[in-house]
Amino acid sequence: MSDPLSKVATAAEIAHAVAGGQVKASAVVEAALTRIDVTEPTVNAFTDIVAQRARRRAAEIDAGRHRGPLVGVPFAVKNLFDIEGLPTRAGSKINVDGPKARRDGALVRQLEAAGAILLGGLNMGEYAYDFTGENAHYGPSRNPHDPTRMTGGSSGGSGAAVASGEVPLALGSDTNGSIRVPCSLCGLFGLKPTYGRLSRAGSFPFVDSLDHLGPMARSVEDLALSFDAMQGWDPDDPACTDRDPEPTLPSLRDGVGGLRIAIAGDYFARGGEPDAFEAVATVAKALGATRTVILPQAAAARAAAYVMAATEGAQLHLSRLRTRPQDFDPDTRERFMAGALLPGSWYVKAQRFRRHYRANVLKVFDEVDIVLAPATPCRAPKLGQVMMTLDGVELSVRANVGIFTQPISFIGLPVVAVPTAKPGALPIGVQVIARPYNEQAALRVAAHLEKEGVCVSTPA
Amino acid sequence: MADDKPDIGRWVDEGAKAIGLPIAPEYRANVILNIERSLAIAQPLLAVELDDELTPAPVFRP
Repeated sequence: MSDPLSKVATAAEIAHAVAGGQVKASAVVEAALTRIDVTEPTVNAFTDIVAQRARRRAAEIDAGRHRGPLVGVPFAVKNLFDIEGLPTRAGSKINVDGPKARRDGALVRQLEAAGAILLGGLNMGEYAYDFTGENAHYGPSRNPHDPTRMTGGSSGGSGAAVASGEVPLALGSDTNGSIRVPCSLCGLFGLKPTYGRLSRAGSFPFVDSLDHLGPMARSVEDLALSFDAMQGWDPDDPACTDRDPEPTLPSLRDGVGGLRIAIAGDYFARGGEPDAFEAVATVAKALGATRTVILPQAAAARAAAYVMAATEGAQLHLSRLRTRPQDFDPDTRERFMAGALLPGSWYVKAQRFRRHYRANVLKVFDEVDIVLAPATPCRAPKLGQVMMTLDGVELSVRANVGIFTQPISFIGLPVVAVPTAKPGALPIGVQVIARPYNEQAALRVAAHLEKEGVCVSTPA
Repeated sequence: MADDKPDIGRWVDEGAKAIGLPIAPEYRANVILNIERSLAIAQPLLAVELDDELTPAPVFRP
């Protein structure tokens, strides 16, 4: 058991210590605020800190007014989540002129109902159209393992805050990979749940057809704890499932016996640096997985996800592109403008193809329970790096860091991103992918890898 | 087939006019670059043949 006031403490350890009376929630909050104070100049994870609110809440917990599985756990959220009384930046300058949120986003409320304590809002790529974690308005979030490098995005502040040990738990959003990419580059565990599994109410959208929210942490137990606390139907999100919550924590330590695990071949076995495939091989070996499966037409799936994101995102922001183009981040502005000019037939085709691809991929999941794939094609690029070379081809970093995540979120499959590390190298992650609504299997695999020491997340 | 290549500059200029999106001269080159990039990335999707029966899922349920 770690010292609950230290940066290595997990959410579960903190909640255990607070519930058992070994430490006050107020002390936990003060320790986290001190860490944030010391670490922020390096990582630039936070855009808003709600210290007063957090202290008030901690005092209430210490007075016995709140209980729950996450009691006393400090957490922070990507700044596209509504925080009562603050404008919902979504990484932009423009939204700061908009209305202040009248109440917290749904998942913030659910985590606080489970006893957790919100510390603030986190940096992100503008309007989530980003894989880098860079932001022209607020500065880049910086990778705690090497601050000259990217966190990945767009949940870059979430990656930096957890990987630096400022907080044990953060929420991010993932449309095309924005949880899994920063988890890969920052060495974290992250859960992108099944599409519709967690409510998106009270968060600023990017691509409604593809937007997911989920937790990022340094332990699999913390993912399960927070995921279980956030499950449940919410009429305020039309895509939210009305399935009953299925708690994942009780079976988290059941091991991987009985699970059929395969490696994604073809598309997922090329187009990346050797490190990306080595990470998959390491994880596969630890799981005894030797079988390879093909997710058919993954390249078309990636293309379709790209088209949907570009088109829906551009439509969402069209009025702002007309009236305030100068206030956009230059790195998103012209991409949004281009998205507004793509043919409608491309978009509809992408939506039609989604049904086709879903049907074919679900056939693969008749034969296996888990598919392993790289999370990113490379380790963290340098801040400001525009191009990278993959398989001898020079490609845009922004457009290509998500090549392995896009075909998976495109059909809403649940994924746990697990970190791998080797001495002297930056972390790189692997996607543990399951069939829809089977987060439990992906979390069990991740928990097994963590227990065996294959995938471990240590704060920088 | 070189003649079939779209004139992206015109696409951007006329498309922007059609939807009422002013694009300042200093943004234009990068919008063109992003359309070119989108064309390249979209190819695998555009190459797929889909049956007429294959309709989109209006509320997507994975």
